[in-house]
Amino acid sequence: MRRLFSASNASCAAFLLLCAPLSAQDDPTSAMARVLQKVREKVAKSVVSIEVVRDKDPDGRGGSGPSSTHQDYFNRPEGPCTGTLWSEDGYIVTSWFNVSGEVRRVTVRTHDGKSYDAKRLGYDATRDIALLKIEAKDLPVLPKSKLDEAKQGDFVAIVGRAPDPDVPTLNHGILSAVNRMKDACVQTDAELNYGNVGGPLVTVRGEIVGITCQVKPRTNWGQSGGVGFACKHTEIDKALPSLKQNRSVERGKEPWLGVTPAEGAEGVEGVVVAQVAAEGPGEEGGLQEADVITEIDGKRVKTWEELRAVLETKKVGDVVKLKILRKDKAGVQQPKDVKVKLGDNPN
Amino acid sequence: MNFFPASSASSAAVLLLCALCSPLCAQDDQDLEKVAELQKKVHAVVDRVKGAYVFIGGGSGVCVDPDGWILTNHHVAGGAQNWKVRFTGGKQYDATLVGFHPADDVALLKVRNGKDLPCVELGDSDALKIGDNVIAVGNPFMLGNGSWEPTITLGIVSALHVYLDNPGYKDAVQTDAQINPGNSGGPLIGMDGKVIGINGRIDVKRFMNRVNTGIGYAIPSNQIRRFMPHFKAGGRAFGGYLEGATVGECGDDRYENTGELGDGVFIAGLQDDTPASKAGLTTGDILFDIEGQRPYNLNRFHGIVGAWPAGSTVKVKYKRWDAAKKEFAVHETKVLLGDPEKLRAQEAQVGNLYLGFTPSYDFDDLGVEVDEVMEKGPAATAGLKSGDVIKKVGDARVRDWKDFKAALTGKKAGEKLKLVVLRDGKEMDLTITAEERKIEGMPEKQDE
Repeated sequence: MRRLFSASNASCAAFLLLCAPLSAQDDPTSAMARVLQKVREKVAKSVVSIEVVRDKDPDGRGGSGPSSTHQDYFNRPEGPCTGTLWSEDGYIVTSWFNVSGEVRRVTVRTHDGKSYDAKRLGYDATRDIALLKIEAKDLPVLPKSKLDEAKQGDFVAIVGRAPDPDVPTLNHGILSAVNRMKDACVQTDAELNYGNVGGPLVTVRGEIVGITCQVKPRTNWGQSGGVGFACKHTEIDKALPSLKQNRSVERGKEPWLGVTPAEGAEGVEGVVVAQVAAEGPGEEGGLQEADVITEIDGKRVKTWEELRAVLETKKVGDVVKLKILRKDKAGVQQPKDVKVKLGDNPN
Repeated sequence: MNFFPASSASSAAVLLLCALCSPLCAQDDQDLEKVAELQKKVHAVVDRVKGAYVFIGGGSGVCVDPDGWILTNHHVAGGAQNWKVRFTGGKQYDATLVGFHPADDVALLKVRNGKDLPCVELGDSDALKIGDNVIAVGNPFMLGNGSWEPTITLGIVSALHVYLDNPGYKDAVQTDAQINPGNSGGPLIGMDGKVIGINGRIDVKRFMNRVNTGIGYAIPSNQIRRFMPHFKAGGRAFGGYLEGATVGECGDDRYENTGELGDGVFIAGLQDDTPASKAGLTTGDILFDIEGQRPYNLNRFHGIVGAWPAGSTVKVKYKRWDAAKKEFAVHETKVLLGDPEKLRAQEAQVGNLYLGFTPSYDFDDLGVEVDEVMEKGPAATAGLKSGDVIKKVGDARVRDWKDFKAALTGKKAGEKLKLVVLRDGKEMDLTITAEERKIEGMPEKQDE
C-alpha cells in the first residue's frame, strides 16, 4: 500500500509540472483576472477614501427610499466615499454628490493610511464633479487614456475605497457608450454604487478614462443597475482652472414632470406612463401608472419626444394642463384632465 | 509513512516550477495579450451588430434581414400597427407590424419597401453553454435618444431553458448582461456575432426603481426561427401543445412504471382520435426525448412543445413498459402539436371581445381550463390564473370552450361577466371585464 501511495504522488507531481503552466496561460478568464488584479494594485495608490462630516439631518430622515423633497446626501448610507488623486501636489477629484451640501469637515485618507484635512474648492454640478485639496506632495497620479481611441466594448474597471478605506474595491465591465450626458460622460456597465462613485474608471492598462459620477438616489440608473457614468478626464481638465479658483457651476433648472414613459404603445396614441416618481410633481398632480398622456397645454403629443419638446419650453414651477386617458374599472379608457406643477429635474 | 516525503517532493516541484516560470514567460504581457484578444472579439461583435439595432418607441428591436424584417417584443410593438423606427445613427423608416406571438412576447415588423438594410442573422441558441459571454444591445432609459447610439452591455449566460409564466417564456436564456427598461426587444448576441435571443424581461424594482438586478431573460433564437414563417405570413402565431393528452411528472409513486423524476414525463390520460393517440401514444408511455430535448419535468415539457409553433410535427421518443420482458422498450413516433386553424377559429369565435387568456385543450368536460394569462389583460386584472378551471359564465354552466363561446354571444366590450372558477379544489367568484380586441387577426396588406 505504501508503494502505491508514493507512486500516485509522484505521478501527481509530474502531471502538475506538465499541466499547470499550459492551462494557466491558455485560459483567458484567469488572464483577465490577473490583469484586473494588476490594475487594482496599480490604480489603488491613486484612489483615496473621503470622510464627510455633516450636521445631522434636521428632519431626522434619510437613509431610505427615493424622495424628491429631501437632500440627496441624506438619502445614502453613512460611511466613507471615494475620490481620485488628480495632481502630485494634492488636488483630488470626486463626484459632487459625495461632498455636496453643508459639510463640517472633509477628511481624506490616502493609500498609505495617512489622513489629511481637505479643503473643498469649486464644483461643477452639471458634470457632477468636485475638487478637493490636501497639503501633500509627490502623490501618485494615474496616466490618462487616449479618449479619441475609446470604443464601445472596451474593457474597463472601477476602483473604489469604501466602505473600508484600507481595502480597495474592484468592479469591471465594458464601455457601453462613449458619448453620453451631452458628450461629457462615458457610459459603463461596470457596477457603480455609493461606495465607489468618485473613483476612477480605468482601462485594463490602468489609465484613467474618467471619474465615476451621476449616481443619485433619485435617478433610475446608477446604483448597480448596470448603467453608470464617468465624467471624461478631458472634461475635468477643461473645468479644472475655474474649480481651482473656487468657482462653481450650478446645474440649470430643468422642468420635470416626474414620470418615466413606457416602452410600448397601448393601442392609443400618446405617452404611456410606466412609472411615477415617488413624491415627484407627477404624483402630486395625480398621475398614475398606465395613464396615457395625449395633450399638454392644448398641444397633441404622440411620443415622449414631442412631450419633452413642449416641456423644454416651460419653466420649473409652471403649471401644465394635461389631457390623459385612464382606464376605468370596466377597463375602458376615459379622458381626464390633470394639472401638474413642474418640478426641477433631479436626474 | 513513505508517502509523506513523496508529497513534499511534489510540492517542491511545483514551487520550482513557479520560480522558473514567472521571469521566463513575462506573464503580464502574455495576460494583456490574452485580454487584448478577447477585447478584439468583443469589438468585432459590436462592429458587426450595432448597425442592425433598431429604436422602436421606448424600446428596442433588431433587423434580421436586408429587406427590413425587424424582431422585437410584443409588449414593445404589439400595441400599434404602424411605427416609425430608427436604426443606429438615426435614419428613420416606416414599419408595419406583421406577425406577433403575445403569449411569448415576440413581434415581427417589416420596414416598408426596405432594401439593403444592415442586419444580423439568427444564431443557434441551443449551442449556448452556461458561462458563455453574451452582449446585449439596447436603449435603457432612452439614453440613446437624440444621438441614436445604443447601449452595449456584456455578461454571461446564467441559465438555459428557463420556463416562465405570464408572459410565458417557454425556453428563455437567462443572462446577467445588464438589461434595463428600454432594452426590451433588443438583441442578445453570442460571441459569433449572431442573434441568440430577444431580450424581453428583467427582474426589476430594486431600490424602488425599475432597474436590473442581474437577472434578464431573452426569447431564444431557435424558437424564433421556427416561428418566423408564421410571423411573416402575418397575424397571430400560436405555440404548440400536445392535444388530447394529460401529462404527468415521473417519480410520483401513485403511478406505476413511470420511472424516476427527471427521466421524462408520462401520459396520464389520453383522448381518442387526437394527434397524440393517432401517433400511437398510450397511457403510461414515458416521453423522454422531443426533437433532441429532454423533458425532465412538466415545465420543461411545456417549454419544449410551446417553443414550436402550433401545427408543427415533432419527433418524440418514448419508453413503454414491456410486461412480458419486464423492462422498458424504446419507441419513436411523430406527433402533431396542435392545429393553428382550430386555435385561430377559437380566437375568432369570441369575436371582438378580448379577455386576455388562452384556454387549455378541452378535457374531461369539467370546464374551460385557463392556459396562459396575458400581462395586464382583463383576465389578469380579474385575478384569473393559469390552471384555473372556469365552470360558469354568469348563470350558464360551461363544460368546454364551445359552451364558453356560446355564453359570450351577444356580450359587449366593457360588460362585466361573473365567472365561477375552480382553483385548488375550491370554487371562487371572479368578475372579468371584457375589452374590445385592439388588434385584428391579420394586419394590413404588405406593400410587396
